[in-house]
Amino acid sequence: MDNREISTNRISFLTLLLILLIVYAHSQIQEGKKLPFSLSQFKLENGLHVILSEDYSLPLVSVVLAYNVGSINEPPGKAGLAYLLEGLMMYHGSRNVDRMQHIGLIHRIGGEVNAGTGADKAIFLQKVPSNWLASVLWLESDRMYSLDINPANVERAKEDVIGIIRNRKQTNYYLESFHAFDELLFPGYAYGHPVLGNETDLKSITVEDVKNFYSTYYTPNNAILSIAGNIDPTKAEKLVRKYFETIPKGKEVPAPPEPEPYERKPVVKVIEDSLASLPGFLLGYRIASPYSDDFYALKLIEYILSKGNSSRLFKRLIKKELIVSDIRGQIETKGTLAAFKIYSRSSNDILREKSQKAVLSEINKLKSTLISDKELRKSKNMLKKDYISRYATSMNRARFLAEKYLARKTLDDLPGELERYLRVSSSEIAGIMNRYFTEDKVLLVVKIK
Amino acid sequence: MKRKSLLRFIVVSTLVVLMSWGKTLLSQERFRRMPPKPEPFAKLELPKVDSATLSNGLEVSVISRTELPLINLRLIIFAGEGSSPDKLPGLATYLSYLFSRGALNLSSSEIEEQIEYIGGTFSNLVYPDYTVFSFTFLEEYLDEALELLSRLILQPTFARIERDNVKRALVYSLRNMRETDPDFIAKRHLFRLLFKDHPYRKSTFNEDIINDIRKRDLLAFYNKFYCPNNAHIVLTGNLNLSTASRKVSRYLNTWKKKELKRSFIPPPNPASKQKICLVDLPRAKDATIYLGNIVLPITSMEVFPFTVFNQVLGGIYNGRLFMNLRESKGYAYNVYSDVEYFKTCSVFYIMAKVRPEVTYASIKEIMKEIEGITSARIPIKIIEQAKSYLIGKFPLQLESDNFSSRVSEITAFNLGEEHWLKYHESIQLINSKRVFEIAQKYSLLPPVVVIVGDKNILLDLPIEFEELEVYNSKGELQYKIKKGE
Repeated sequence: MDNREISTNRISFLTLLLILLIVYAHSQIQEGKKLPFSLSQFKLENGLHVILSEDYSLPLVSVVLAYNVGSINEPPGKAGLAYLLEGLMMYHGSRNVDRMQHIGLIHRIGGEVNAGTGADKAIFLQKVPSNWLASVLWLESDRMYSLDINPANVERAKEDVIGIIRNRKQTNYYLESFHAFDELLFPGYAYGHPVLGNETDLKSITVEDVKNFYSTYYTPNNAILSIAGNIDPTKAEKLVRKYFETIPKGKEVPAPPEPEPYERKPVVKVIEDSLASLPGFLLGYRIASPYSDDFYALKLIEYILSKGNSSRLFKRLIKKELIVSDIRGQIETKGTLAAFKIYSRSSNDILREKSQKAVLSEINKLKSTLISDKELRKSKNMLKKDYISRYATSMNRARFLAEKYLARKTLDDLPGELERYLRVSSSEIAGIMNRYFTEDKVLLVVKIK
Repeated sequence: MKRKSLLRFIVVSTLVVLMSWGKTLLSQERFRRMPPKPEPFAKLELPKVDSATLSNGLEVSVISRTELPLINLRLIIFAGEGSSPDKLPGLATYLSYLFSRGALNLSSSEIEEQIEYIGGTFSNLVYPDYTVFSFTFLEEYLDEALELLSRLILQPTFARIERDNVKRALVYSLRNMRETDPDFIAKRHLFRLLFKDHPYRKSTFNEDIINDIRKRDLLAFYNKFYCPNNAHIVLTGNLNLSTASRKVSRYLNTWKKKELKRSFIPPPNPASKQKICLVDLPRAKDATIYLGNIVLPITSMEVFPFTVFNQVLGGIYNGRLFMNLRESKGYAYNVYSDVEYFKTCSVFYIMAKVRPEVTYASIKEIMKEIEGITSARIPIKIIEQAKSYLIGKFPLQLESDNFSSRVSEITAFNLGEEHWLKYHESIQLINSKRVFEIAQKYSLLPPVVVIVGDKNILLDLPIEFEELEVYNSKGELQYKIKKGE
């Protein structure tokens, strides 16, 4: 009798072990088999998604908390709210953390702390010696749980943002043009307004506005906690549960606003920028969503046209024809929207016109002539190196994983992602060029006053 | 009866307090109230540095790191700005920019293209004691990278067009910094005054001098110092010493060894008299103060107590200077102290960015803090805090490329393992007594003080020093003002 019981137990134990092994093997295939670093994930009851990646090369750890909120979520008339909240989160304390205590503690232990707010994300980052992990989780959980939003703090934070806006106007002479360009390229308030907001809107923001925005978006169910570095995953999970599990789930997060439709026709505008010192132009193409299959080729096009000193635009306009003083081209994404932006300045209006023509001719060339294998390889290698650099340090890796999850709500496709960029062919490049670099472009000519 | 009413009072008042604090207070867990205690420091295990010397005298070191498919190659040349000819300071810098701008049958555009083809980036840095080129690329292209490097080393051309391009860019950027960057102006002026006739002064060259440098000057410097027995290659990546030295040797074995005596540069004497200088930067909104003197060389074991001392005095956000000048007095936007290490000596300096009207008051406060730290022992708790900051910070400074940057510094200065494998121990051993001795030995008084700001504002303030030297933005002495004038 007794013996039988034992043997049943043993069988069930063995079965269990087998099942565990199969599950383990499966999860290894699902996530991380081809990834060059370790990765595990879990979700808390309150919806907080947690990502862990161990790396024992140095005794340090990076903690990134990313919220799925940015300037596109700001209610009309309240531009700058997300950036204002970043200031409150960084400096003004929470229920158990005094003003400046967060930054003070991190610096005292030799760590680094930073934050960033964009159109579609708000990210808080810290890198510390790994024995201080619990302290960082204590700090991060406290500001997620109980940010100190009071009239005095909100006023101070508003003054800070207004100060930054004024300062930027003085140092970034083309700000007026950039804002006007974004309004044309991303029609409608939600996607078209700057992250920093504007003075009028900021002044109208009330304590109630801040509280509402905070309780809607800065919640566990709208956040990703990503930890990379010298951690024991079991211990780290225990700590995460201790500090975050009892934070109540927030309300249902409203879907981001739908982008406004735009007319499929070219937009050309001339602006007289009161602060600009040189004439220039901004050229924009609306391209496929960053979540679409076309985006892989588009990212490579960014390298071919405008990344590095041997890119096509740099080589032709700066080195060969010497017609611009600087030129930049890059993809900008805002939620599901993406645009390819090219910006350049020339010493006079004749050269400005010439450079516009040269840029368009380079774009046409890439539409009509297949790129050589060698040039495509070069662009892929540059992309590959940048891609690897995104997980080369603990901070980069924690951020990389948080941002990837934030954008796609899964990391399942991460192992093959780099391969997908490297598989793009030259005919795909030409096809994608013809699909997106069309006549429906936005051109803003900047003249000096 | 009395007791009952007292009880009721307690109950009611507790309720009122609790209600006013809100419901959440009741539900908060105890552990949220205080920051948790840290665990003990995790062990720092650094990879070994393996080295070999090739037959032509070129030293090759390898740090094996398997995590990333990238290789970082650093070429160190043991000659920096301190070795530029006396009449042509700036030559070492100019040459370092030209290094990747052309080789025989290889234009600068072709070089850029080749670097980018292997997913690479290339940069140069010139210090007074040495020059470093840093080259990072995808690991599958080690051969291509070494081949390119060998062409740059063995077949330099210094073509006229590239010389002109580099000259233009260098002159433009130096002039731009001199006209707009108060930190650049102040630090350069401080170093000029401290190094007077010493070779290190050459690092502070003016942009005009670049125009005097000719091709034959470049070639002379190149032929003298760019030789394998005066160089060291450090490779970091997924590779071992035997593969690395075999490959380096394949591409660089024709690099000819030369007779070369590495000359010893004697250290300069510290400034012995306080000097206060004002460098005019028209329309500057703030005043920027750089104040410092010459101290110990990096090779000294006193570096460790000095580092702790520096942290206590001028650590960013927590140092005494910060707590006084920024947090308590509200004079400064930013203030810290730092050490710039060289082979034979170093410069210890304090930087403060202040409101112009409190410039002189700020200098007085800085002096007071220096006096304070050199006259009384620092409490053990503060020393321990500074040490744990330094020990915690060390691995943070080693991530990614900084790793090989640290190793090349150790290589260039020929430092022992107390700066690498034993760094934690070196810091851990420091106590309050040791810091006190160091503080007294290298007490800054009397330092050289450089103020950069708008002359029109700063000269309106009552001058409280015996003498103030006034310089224009080019750094030329205009006149002196005595107290009370």
